Amino acid sequence: MTDSEKWARWTLGVIALTILAWAAFVAFLGNGPAASSVFALLALAAIPAAKRRAHHRCLDERESEISHKALLAGMRALWGAFIGLVLATGFLKGWDANLTVPVWLLTSAIWWAAMLILAVESIATLLLYRGTHA
Amino acid sequence: MPEAPGPPPAIRNQIRSLRFHHDEMTQDELAKRAGVTRHTIMALEAGKYFPSLLLAFRIASAFHTTVDQVFEYTEISAPISSS
Repeated sequence: MTDSEKWARWTLGVIALTILAWAAFVAFLGNGPAASSVFALLALAAIPAAKRRAHHRCLDERESEISHKALLAGMRALWGAFIGLVLATGFLKGWDANLTVPVWLLTSAIWWAAMLILAVESIATLLLYRGTHA
Repeated sequence: MPEAPGPPPAIRNQIRSLRFHHDEMTQDELAKRAGVTRHTIMALEAGKYFPSLLLAFRIASAFHTTVDQVFEYTEISAPISSS
């Protein structure tokens, strides 16, 4: 197993744990700023691993190609989610509606976005290492 | 616009055979000579990855031969039509 595949598995594990912890926090504390503290798990475990991978990687051309494709897939997923959210909000709330959201919801949205990118990037990495194009 | 599905690219290589004829060179040794990982050599041998021109030359150089002795292209797809 390559370093990239190990990173992908590790990241998916951290994301799964984060989602489980978030669900537990929401169940006991309700969906609020306290539940957002679970994202510390992601911040402490997955993002540093991704940074280490970026700084210390020694990738050949195939691995580099996989890495770029996987990151692109993550960014595409984020863009799709963003467009979907904008359209859903517009159609559900009305295009002239005013929205008031608490700050914790905005910060949570950033964490969910990071989680989405990392999850899609990890899955794409694992798939591309098994695919015919990689 | 997505590409139309067609026949698989017909680039074949003789890497496995050449390794055998070069004192049974290991994948790891070839990988070191070509400057890639062993996984990439495995993917090349399995036909799951097509190398860049640079890597193709490096692999050929590792076997002290030419690129066309290592890689073979068979044109099986339809030629590009002129507009």
